[in-house]
Amino acid sequence: MQTTALKVKSEEYAGELIQLVSFNLENEEYGINVLMVREIIRMLNITRVPNTPHYVEGVINLRGKVIPIISLRRKFDLPEADYDKRTRIMVMEVVGEMMGFIVDEVSEVIRISEKEIQPPPPVVSSGIDQECMAGVINQAERLLVLLDLERMFTADERRMFSSVA
Amino acid sequence: MPIDCEDQELLEGFLAETTELLEKLDDDLVSLEKSPEDAELMNRIFRSIHTVKGASSFLGFDLLVKVTHKTEDVLNRLRKGELVVTPEIMDVILEAVDLVKTLVADIKAGEIVERDIESTIAKLVPFLSMNATEATVLSAAPKAEESAPAASAQPAAAAPAAAQSAVPQVAPAAAKLKEPVPQKAAPAAKGEELADNSTVRVDVKRLDDLMNQVGELVLERNRMIQLHSDYQSGLDPNGFSDDFGKLSKRLNFVTSELQMQVLKMRMLPVEKVFKKFPRIVRNLARDLGKEVDLQIFGEETELDRSVVDEIGDPLIHLIRNALDHGLETPDERVAAGKPRMGTVMLSAAHEGNQIVISIKDNGRGINPDKIAQKAMDKGLITEEQLATMGSREILELIFLPGFSTKEQTTDLSGRGVGMDVVRTNIRKLNGIIEIKNELGHGSEFILKLPLTLAIIQSLLVEVEREVYSIPLASVIETMRVDQKEFHMIGGQEVLKLRDSVLPLLRLGRVFSCADAGNDRSTCYVVIVGVAEKRVGLVVTRLLGQQEVAIKSLGKFLANLPGIGGSTIMGDGRVALIVDPMGLIGGGEGTGVRKSAAA
Repeated sequence: MQTTALKVKSEEYAGELIQLVSFNLENEEYGINVLMVREIIRMLNITRVPNTPHYVEGVINLRGKVIPIISLRRKFDLPEADYDKRTRIMVMEVVGEMMGFIVDEVSEVIRISEKEIQPPPPVVSSGIDQECMAGVINQAERLLVLLDLERMFTADERRMFSSVA
Repeated sequence: MPIDCEDQELLEGFLAETTELLEKLDDDLVSLEKSPEDAELMNRIFRSIHTVKGASSFLGFDLLVKVTHKTEDVLNRLRKGELVVTPEIMDVILEAVDLVKTLVADIKAGEIVERDIESTIAKLVPFLSMNATEATVLSAAPKAEESAPAASAQPAAAAPAAAQSAVPQVAPAAAKLKEPVPQKAAPAAKGEELADNSTVRVDVKRLDDLMNQVGELVLERNRMIQLHSDYQSGLDPNGFSDDFGKLSKRLNFVTSELQMQVLKMRMLPVEKVFKKFPRIVRNLARDLGKEVDLQIFGEETELDRSVVDEIGDPLIHLIRNALDHGLETPDERVAAGKPRMGTVMLSAAHEGNQIVISIKDNGRGINPDKIAQKAMDKGLITEEQLATMGSREILELIFLPGFSTKEQTTDLSGRGVGMDVVRTNIRKLNGIIEIKNELGHGSEFILKLPLTLAIIQSLLVEVEREVYSIPLASVIETMRVDQKEFHMIGGQEVLKLRDSVLPLLRLGRVFSCADAGNDRSTCYVVIVGVAEKRVGLVVTRLLGQQEVAIKSLGKFLANLPGIGGSTIMGDGRVALIVDPMGLIGGGEGTGVRKSAAA
């Protein structure tokens, strides 16, 4: 499944500009469609939740709503790192649920043309599941990996979430 | 055939009213059988059927009209004393009322299905010795006299209805449709409710009170903003602490009032569930050939709608059991020196923050030996396990799925599902079940349920520096113990508590908390009960009691074993709510072994 927003637009007119939020994770730059992101917040107190998959960091109170927080580092099997003042939680709506994702740093919102998005290379070096890579953007001085978090959770994982976890 | 009704509002009004009337009708009919002389009751029944008939003919539901018309005719003869109330007549009338319910349900579903109404009508006809024309005349007479006062009581209601249709005689019919409105005004305060649960009727007074409280809240907020700006501009920094203290006290007061008001709006009298029981008991008693007197107390007790929805099924099972297993046949009772008629007492009452519902019968009681024997025969427990069980544990065997004392499965009982349903539903509600049993004199099932599921009283505990909240409804007691007092039996830590042996669960281990390096040997044990089970949860410290609002953890983290949800603490942090049912239920298999080991 392509990111819906991407797909619809590309059908209408190829080369449409899309906006991405770019963020850093272990010195790599990633991008996520801005329409997916609800808000970006600083680190808060996270309450650990027992008996969850290792990448579930816990839950936070987002203005009265309790939402799960996922560590993208752990999800992608990257080395652990301490949180610092640049650490951010990106709150997104993934498959109808609000969720927060911890990233090292959020840098900017960039505009790119859809034509610039190339299919992901067949071999992925870091631990990132090939699954949730929607493509790569190769600009002059930067390489950006476009993520589709909807695809981050495999059907199995979703089922696990909702049954035993 | 889809329903063709121009005025949707009128149709909805009809459905709401009819459903309400029919619900009440069942109850009234059963009471009528007990006291056939009650003219007031008789008239009320007659009026209900009559209203349904009038309204359905106005809206053109012919099937309904036919059935209600014949039922009305029979009732009319009863009313005039031309017929005497007998169980046979009541059976037929109840059947007719059931048919009416089915027809109304069809209308509600938006589709009129052709149903066989002739067979029911044919059963009604023998009770009408007069011919049809006379019957029509008879029923026409009260129609006229009733519509008169109704029309005067509700002239405003009648007027627009008349305007809709140029035919003048429609006006009294419309008035009849509205007729129960003045009657209903009083019970509406009690939260009369329709079968569908998507809408709530709220007493206007309660709504006004709520508005008042919200007004207060706005006032306090303004005061807070004022206080803050005063403080920032450096006005009287010394008085700040004082003023702020007062403010938070008032805020506390207003919010707890507000909370009560909102909670009250969600409350329904337990009567909504109780009122279907007389009918069930009557039918069951007739089927079983037993004589039963059902006594209901405290039906005005109010509880949360979510709880009301869930307790219906368990109560039906418990009542069924009381009648089927508990009470003896009249002959057996006489032989045992008891009155022929058995009594089943159903009562509801508030007790602190809980509601206590009890089903008590004066039958033969539960024989523990028989229970134990059956459980062994069915292979649910072994002989060694049995040897270690106390009488309480043996009684609890009846909750095991698959347990039944019946040799044969009947349509009433014997599948061994009933008590399991009871236990599952009560667990879902975080409730507790207690059994009191006196062999030869009857048994009593006591259900203790929390008042609401949205806001709960909870006990905050600390487990290795993490804060968890345990629903107070399931907490039975807490105690401070030295870890040296723990015993190990068959790989299970237990605590000797008075005369029983309590299995222990270390919350830190269950939730795999990081060891906070606390070497103190004393700790606290929170004894929780779920349905009939008791377990001690080992925690590091008790932090206190707090009222907390339950927040869902969302779909992704739903169904975590032992975690029932979360709540937000005063400092904005999230604390998880322990789900004792999940904790104890998770060790289902070990549960029996545990009690066996004990």
